[in-house]
Amino acid sequence: MEVDREDGRSQNQLRPLACSRSILHRAHGSASWSQGDTKVLAAVYGPRAGTKKNENPEKACIEVIWKPKTGQIGKLEKEYEMILKRTLQSICILTVNPNTTTSVMIQVVNDDGALLPSAINAACMALVDAGIPMRHLAVAICCCVARSGLVILDPTKLEEQKMKAFAYLVFPNLVHSVLPEGSPSVQGEPIENGIITSVTHGTMSVDDYFYCLERGRAASTKLSDFLRRNLQQQPTNSSKAG
Amino acid sequence: MVTYREDGSSEVQLGQTRVMGIVTAQLVQPYRDRPKEGMLSIFTEFSPMADPSFEPGRPGELAVELGRIIDRGLRESRAVDTESLCILAGKFVWAVRIDIHILDNGGNLVDAANIAALAALLTFRRPECSLGGEDGQEVIVHPPEIREPLPLMVHHLPIAITFGFFSNESILLIDPTHNEEAVMNGRMTTTVNANGDICAIQKGGGEGVPQRVIMQCLQLATSKAASITKQIKDAVEAFNTERALRKIKRHPTSTGVDVREKQNQYTCNIPVSLEHFKSKTEVVITRTRKHYPLNMAA
Repeated sequence: MEVDREDGRSQNQLRPLACSRSILHRAHGSASWSQGDTKVLAAVYGPRAGTKKNENPEKACIEVIWKPKTGQIGKLEKEYEMILKRTLQSICILTVNPNTTTSVMIQVVNDDGALLPSAINAACMALVDAGIPMRHLAVAICCCVARSGLVILDPTKLEEQKMKAFAYLVFPNLVHSVLPEGSPSVQGEPIENGIITSVTHGTMSVDDYFYCLERGRAASTKLSDFLRRNLQQQPTNSSKAG
Repeated sequence: MVTYREDGSSEVQLGQTRVMGIVTAQLVQPYRDRPKEGMLSIFTEFSPMADPSFEPGRPGELAVELGRIIDRGLRESRAVDTESLCILAGKFVWAVRIDIHILDNGGNLVDAANIAALAALLTFRRPECSLGGEDGQEVIVHPPEIREPLPLMVHHLPIAITFGFFSNESILLIDPTHNEEAVMNGRMTTTVNANGDICAIQKGGGEGVPQRVIMQCLQLATSKAASITKQIKDAVEAFNTERALRKIKRHPTSTGVDVREKQNQYTCNIPVSLEHFKSKTEVVITRTRKHYPLNMAA
């Protein structure tokens, strides 16, 4: 069953991706990520000395600040901050710099659907730009289930509003997922089959969810390629501490 | 209350400083003592992204001062015509909200934020509305697909130019960078427009300067304002022609495909140099020290 998407994409087609790093001068690391019309700017400062009050001082701490395009900061922004913080905590190596804080700031430049995945991708690139030690990279994607039962990737804002349910999925992106031979495995299953984060809105059946996962994973390989290529092309600038 | 997202958004790069301005509008009830005027409010967000010393949360005194300078330039000089924002006197007026996001602090945030606000205001379009209902007391807001949204009425463009003073060698600097701001003894921001009118002057404390230096600053500011006004207008022109071209691509006759009109982001890079002046007050030597390209993405 083919569905007509407004911009003429097929079910599994992502919007055009654009990414640039080191765009801000004061921040230690910065990146801008855009998927179609959705554009997010991420900046990273750190590591800075000291951790927040309730955090474990034996590990590095990650702090996320989310700035919406317009309006007051509300619960939705706090939720995004929390999800982003947990996701980034799982990909960074926290034991390298204990008792430090790394701050990640996200600024929404334009929201046209799939905002949280774009932000996660931007944050990941900004962390690489800042040189924060990470276990592996992360790629995020949004899959939604239409009322007809069809699964669509990377919706625009209008499409998101018409969907029955959608899920933001974050997959790990290891070096080995690009090279075909040999990948580290966890309990017999390769690591890149795992999920770091999954956030769903609306109701969908279990089968639909697993189908989303499959589609998402397939698309995430394309995203990982793009990310890796982008990282290899642009050499990072010299250190801008201070 | 319904918020309309006919956004005017602009991004300004002044050297290393980067500022984003976003304009939105909402229909509200007017103030009691001004039933025929719309409202204009400016919100400045000093994001910790721009500078590690900025704290998130409540705006600090720098943010408030910046907001006040821009507000004074726009409101009191009547640059934006608030009476045209009135739909139904005493009941419905447009409240225009300008959000300024500081992305990168390379110094001289006031000037950059001012330009961002002006550029965003010039590209902003508000939906057209008409009076209807039984007694003409209801306001019908037309969505952008049905009726063309209208621009705001902006009479003139007040441009802020900031000067820095150094006491040791009686040096005057225009457009201080972040490092210069840290060591300078005094600052003054003048808001002038291309017609030569002085809209506002702000000099808060700091080093005392003789009167002739102030006059010199004002003359410099007036000449700079003319060139900056021209650059802003060129960028807005280019954006408007691009938007008009995009509209021509609409095909209302094709069935089943609803082509959405995109009026938002458009990147337009017009590199212009904002010259750096350094003149000693005893001997007039004009030396252009650095060139800062002014990139406008509106």
